[in-house]
Amino acid sequence: MGVIFFLILFSISVALIFLAAFIWAVKSGQFDDKYTPSVRILFDEKNSSSNNKTQTSKRDS
Amino acid sequence: MSVDTFHYDNKIVRNFGIATMIWGIIGFLVGLIVALKFIWPDFLGFIPELSFGRLRPLHTNAVIFAFAGNAIFYGVYYSLPRLCKASMWSKKLSNIHFWGWQTIILSAVATLPFGITTSKEYAELEWPIDIAITLIWVIFGVNMIMTIMKRRERHIYVAIWFYIATFVTVAVLHLVNSFEVPATLLKSYPIYAGVQDALVQWWYGHNAVAFFLTTPFLGIMYYFIPKASNRPIFSYRLSIVHFWSLIFIYIWAGPHHLLYTALPGWAQTLGVVFSLMLIAPSWGGMLNGLLTLRGAWDKVREDPVLKFMVVAITAYGMVTFEGPMLSIANVNAIAHYSDYIIGHVHNGALLWNGGLTFGMLYFITPRIYQTKLFSTKLANIHFWFATMGAIFYVIPMYWGGITQSLMWKDFTDQGFLTYPNFLETVVQIVPMYALRAFGGSLFIIGALFGVYNLFKTAKSGSLLSSEKVQAPQLREHFGDENESWHRKLEGRPLKFTVLTVIAILIGGVVEYMPTALIDSNIPTIESVQPYTALEVEGRDIYIAEGCNNCHSQMIRPFRSETERYGEYSKAGEFVYDHPFLWGSKRTGPDLHRIGGKYPDSWHLRHFYDPNSTSPGSIMPAYPWLLSQNMDMKSMPDRIDALRTVGVPYSSRYPEYAIDDMKFQAERITQGLRENGFDVIEGVEITSDKKVIALIAYLQRLGTDISGETDPFEELPSSKKLSNVILEDN
Amino acid sequence: MKESVNIKRTTCSHCGEPVDIERDSELNFCCTGCETVYHLLSDNNLCTYYDLVDSPGTTIKNSLERKRFDYLIDKDVQEKLIDFKNAEVATSSFNIPNIHCTSCVWLLENLQNLNDGVLQGTVNFLKRKLTLVFDTRKTDLRSIVELLTTIGYEPDLTLHQLEEKEQQSIPRDLWLKLGVAGFSFGNIMLFSFPEYLNMSVSDSVDTFKVFFGVLNILLAIPVLVYSSSDYLKSAFAAISQKGINLDVPISIGIVALFGRSLYEILSGTGAGYFDSFAGFIFFLLIGKIVQKKTFEGLSFDRDYKSYLPISVLKIVNGIEQSVSVKTLSVGNEIVLRNNELIPCDSILQSDSTIIDYSFITGESTPVTKMHGDPVFAGGRIMGAQSKMLVSKKVVHSYLTQLWENDGIKSNEQRDHSTLADRISPYFTITVIGIAIISCLIWLYIEPSKAFTIFTAVLIVACPCALALSAPFTFGSATNILSLNGFFLKDIDGIESLGTIDTIVFDKTGTITDSEKANLTFIGSPLSEFDKQLIYTTTRNSTHPYSKKICSTLKEENISDLSPDFIEEVRGKGIHSSYKDYAVHIGSKSFLEDSIGSKINTSKRPGSHVHIAINYEYRGSFEFKNKLRVGVQELIEILRVNYDLHLLSGDNEKDADQLSKYFKGTDNMHFNQSPSQKLDFVESLSNKNQKVLMIGDGLNDAGALKNSHFGIALSDKTSSFSPACDAILDSKELRNFKTLLDFSKDSIGIVNVSFGLSLVYNITGLYFAITGHLSPLVAAILMPLSSITIMVFTTFATRLKARKMGLKIWA
Repeated sequence: MGVIFFLILFSISVALIFLAAFIWAVKSGQFDDKYTPSVRILFDEKNSSSNNKTQTSKRDS
Repeated sequence: MSVDTFHYDNKIVRNFGIATMIWGIIGFLVGLIVALKFIWPDFLGFIPELSFGRLRPLHTNAVIFAFAGNAIFYGVYYSLPRLCKASMWSKKLSNIHFWGWQTIILSAVATLPFGITTSKEYAELEWPIDIAITLIWVIFGVNMIMTIMKRRERHIYVAIWFYIATFVTVAVLHLVNSFEVPATLLKSYPIYAGVQDALVQWWYGHNAVAFFLTTPFLGIMYYFIPKASNRPIFSYRLSIVHFWSLIFIYIWAGPHHLLYTALPGWAQTLGVVFSLMLIAPSWGGMLNGLLTLRGAWDKVREDPVLKFMVVAITAYGMVTFEGPMLSIANVNAIAHYSDYIIGHVHNGALLWNGGLTFGMLYFITPRIYQTKLFSTKLANIHFWFATMGAIFYVIPMYWGGITQSLMWKDFTDQGFLTYPNFLETVVQIVPMYALRAFGGSLFIIGALFGVYNLFKTAKSGSLLSSEKVQAPQLREHFGDENESWHRKLEGRPLKFTVLTVIAILIGGVVEYMPTALIDSNIPTIESVQPYTALEVEGRDIYIAEGCNNCHSQMIRPFRSETERYGEYSKAGEFVYDHPFLWGSKRTGPDLHRIGGKYPDSWHLRHFYDPNSTSPGSIMPAYPWLLSQNMDMKSMPDRIDALRTVGVPYSSRYPEYAIDDMKFQAERITQGLRENGFDVIEGVEITSDKKVIALIAYLQRLGTDISGETDPFEELPSSKKLSNVILEDN
Repeated sequence: MKESVNIKRTTCSHCGEPVDIERDSELNFCCTGCETVYHLLSDNNLCTYYDLVDSPGTTIKNSLERKRFDYLIDKDVQEKLIDFKNAEVATSSFNIPNIHCTSCVWLLENLQNLNDGVLQGTVNFLKRKLTLVFDTRKTDLRSIVELLTTIGYEPDLTLHQLEEKEQQSIPRDLWLKLGVAGFSFGNIMLFSFPEYLNMSVSDSVDTFKVFFGVLNILLAIPVLVYSSSDYLKSAFAAISQKGINLDVPISIGIVALFGRSLYEILSGTGAGYFDSFAGFIFFLLIGKIVQKKTFEGLSFDRDYKSYLPISVLKIVNGIEQSVSVKTLSVGNEIVLRNNELIPCDSILQSDSTIIDYSFITGESTPVTKMHGDPVFAGGRIMGAQSKMLVSKKVVHSYLTQLWENDGIKSNEQRDHSTLADRISPYFTITVIGIAIISCLIWLYIEPSKAFTIFTAVLIVACPCALALSAPFTFGSATNILSLNGFFLKDIDGIESLGTIDTIVFDKTGTITDSEKANLTFIGSPLSEFDKQLIYTTTRNSTHPYSKKICSTLKEENISDLSPDFIEEVRGKGIHSSYKDYAVHIGSKSFLEDSIGSKINTSKRPGSHVHIAINYEYRGSFEFKNKLRVGVQELIEILRVNYDLHLLSGDNEKDADQLSKYFKGTDNMHFNQSPSQKLDFVESLSNKNQKVLMIGDGLNDAGALKNSHFGIALSDKTSSFSPACDAILDSKELRNFKTLLDFSKDSIGIVNVSFGLSLVYNITGLYFAITGHLSPLVAAILMPLSSITIMVFTTFATRLKARKMGLKIWA
């Protein structure tokens, strides 16, 4: 069952990659604010740009 | 000016959208065709390219990689730039990705129906295409990662995390599962054999479902549900927990696909435990999605987008509950190999993936075409067709699956199988197959409405091919830096350990790779021998015709199975199987002990017309096996390839391979002739026909364990060579 | 509170407040402030602001004067407010109480459209915090703050902000430690599987054993050196101080687990207990995180600095300019407007003004000060603006002194030792005892096993579940309490809350509601017409009493007459005439002067406003404070098993109405200065009574801090409240008894779960001593106990809460 070694090693490496990602994310304060981002994605940033009207009307379609 | 102006590329989004729809329809139709073949086996006549065994892989590939695949990219290319407040990093790469992916799919269409396949589920495509997939996938990854790097929004929204996970994991899975040695331009053999191959395949197979059909769509859910309902996700905190726990558990759940197989018991249990653990994060995600809409049900009632998504999430909940349940040994004992699994996966595919995809299409199209949906009414009709279709598909399959499986296991009071003839159990559920086909058709009709609706929508508007946007550049919040200097220090040892561990692992892999694969420590059985050249050819035909789509080669250690098929399968019997052919579904009986069960003539007649030997059989006829010639020319190369992956043929065997084939084939045809089977319906049976090789293979199957005969006896090679098979193991 | 509310359907398009004058357009505004903001936004295409939520704005009633923020130019003020600064960019974060909806987030993150000096804005909604990166060459702190204020998001800038920066609620590295532990836990468990099922599958068992063993060690190391570091450190610290806290037995367990496992694997004698080890740390850390639970946006330790403004208008040779209060020195001349706080003790320059000291003294009735009178820091100016001369620097002012009062400082080291900590010495000793004994016994029976047994005992006796009991119980209890409007500063607070036997109430604003004092007219009943006259007169006065009278009459919907002439004599009274009627309203002296004759008023205590019509004394309005709703009933039940006291900075005017609750007058203390209150609480605690103090306002701050458990009552929890152990939403005061009982009961729950966890330990000990502690047993026992505790405590508390009729879902 030698192959099990690989599968485990490969899997762990993948898992470790994600662990590293997790560490980075926490350190760089990605998860400091666990609410506002969920609101932020609702904004269509195009409305902030000063141009045509169609855009504001689009959001509520 | 601190505010950047940039553009979202809606064109690429549009393209992926169109691809999704076209491939979707095609994939669904192929699905319907194969479904109809369950009712009318000879539907579409006797064209090899349109036979069930060859179309079924085409269906799965089309819906998974063409329909769902394009849908994923559709969602990613729309949401990622908007979440990052940045245009995709490279428009060129986007386009290479798009056209590359479509080419890959086309090449699938151009190979699978012609029997060019590896037989590994969801990885059927042959090695040149595997390489292409790797390249395109990496291009996609680079484009995505760079976009994230260049983002203008500091926070990486949870959806993006799901996308990243998808990219990384699928890349690794694909690579690991595709270690194969090319024999010819379009034929390769995996380096893993038998049990090992099975393990790798299902480690891949499971995670393909996990990271191709689940995580990306979860990302899509986390973006589009809030967008469509215009309310924030129920609990963002929960979604973060959802992601990390899912990622850390999913990767281990693979082995549950191999319960009761020759896989070590502990590995099986492991798979089960982790599969059960998966319920928690999955349901966390589902509830998070549904609760987002609490208090907005009025919206759901009107908006087809939300309707589709709600059904999708609900289906996700059902499937992710079913999955772990199915991985429990006793349940699995019943459900495995049966149509129940087919129902299970379609529940997920039609409603979860399909639902989210159509939801997205209805959401994005009006927006990028700056108009309103052509007809909400029609969209609702589509919704109902899709839902009813799925129900009419899934329920009969559940019903049929259970019924048949119970019949397989049923014993009379005297202790005999109640239904010794496999066929009885098939005939029993044909009505279910009919219902399934009906459900499928409903789903397709719905999809057609959808396509028409979206087409009209696009017509009514004009594509905003590049959307002007403004957003301030991303500035670091220096404050945090100052705060966290000491944390950085604390983090050092941790980072260090992590890195070293990674290094050690990679080192370990590299170092251990050669040894482990050659002398894999499986309990070897003395009498088990490699296949003769002709049998290898037969096996490759078996693969090309996709027999493994309906026939398993793995007898589980249940009385019901040993009674029906004979001695249960041992790990040691598969050591020369490159690839393994255990199969995952029994539309027909298991074939592991078919060898010597029937005379050659029986097989011959059965291939020409199954009903002549088994009245009422729904196995399609394979007349072309009797007319088409086998491939002798490439046999030496193939033997060489097999030697490279560790089959102990003597180094000089390739020279004699062709002689062996001719000799063994002649011997079989001789036998047939003596029994008066030299001509069937005016077709003369000569020794160079495919059917001969296939018969040779089938007659060999599962016979070694008895160790009565030496397969190479009397063959030219054994006369010329002191030992055809190297003795050292 | 707004005085003239006319009931119309139309509301302000910006802030949703009712609109007086309706326009024909669909846009209506309650005030010019709102209108300006609206136009400002619409001119910059920011009207999405209004699409996201209906009328998201906050009313801009008091339009902004430029001078107010001049002090932000001041170098050292900037120093404090700016987190980072280099040549061209600066980062600064503001607390903005007004952030209340999606639109706010959107607008504040799009400020660059209003001021192109702004580079980026990030809002933390829960913390009501805006972090801005801006280009110092294009704009400066002042114009940004002014911009924020104009659009209705005035950042709250108080001395407090200047002093310290708020810290992470749950430190990131705790999350990291948890993540690492969890990761290793999962994987180690995975690799220990073969061991659990003692895999007899293939001859490759040994290869696997080694392989998995090594992986497990690799995975366990980070858990030891990183995740568990806090416990080891704290235990070490405790021991080096000859003390034992709960972390000591925990650390012993940790070390034993790790050492034993390492030994087993390296020596090949076993698979080790790394799975239990990692899981154990994982659960402990979850407990720690629960313990760290805080309420973002609530602040429990505010001192006088949080109340004082940063700046004040100072008159420098005739010109008003805003300066930071810290720069004020004796002799400076300053100007304060209506509702502004006096930053430091001064001498009044204007001829008279009204000052509300309720803030410091609790006395609800404003006092009138004349030219030359000394006025004290913390007083709030009512009515028109007034000049004054600084007589003491801020740091030397009464208010500051009051705070610096050593009485308050002293009690920092009030013992918060938790039950767990108290029992842990005994626990530890017992464990080590058992370990040694069983070790000895085995030395006698079978020496080879002795060491194994010894470590085994240390391992299973590890008080993981024990350590989790309190955090999880109190954690969920705290959540439930917060759902019911009672916010604890830290979850251990519950423990001290349970021991309370004495409750001290502050009167003003706590049990009485100064907002709605009820006034009764004493004297010959007034005719409809009289009332009209009074209404008309008072309606035109800003004096709180006038307002009160006016609004009370309004309830009887008295119609208005337009007076011919009105004159207000600041700090004395008001005089109006209508047709041939002359009305005098005000203090006794004022009326005596105006009607030119002595008047004999009733000797009743409390504050009175006297009325004379046509120079004839008609009687007086008596102001009496009204009890908060439900307070009577509350006190009724509390008095049964608590010793109740009343402290009031106010005069005795309400003594009679209260005396029946506080067993006679001896438990009621009036005219208490803050320091007296403090001393009183002190005296009680010296009689080692466990005092719970409920108060509001700064005047109670000392007492609150000094009491065993201080609760600040607050009308809106987001608003200011003095330093305390908990904040209680004043609407919930009536349920206070229930909340108190609930807290007490939750302690009971903790004890039960202590019991539970001990049972687990003992079961474990059985296995250990008899030498049957296989890794599997440990691996099952350890998580099982922890999970049992988590589940039990959570459910028990919620069940209790349901029984008591408390909210358990948001």
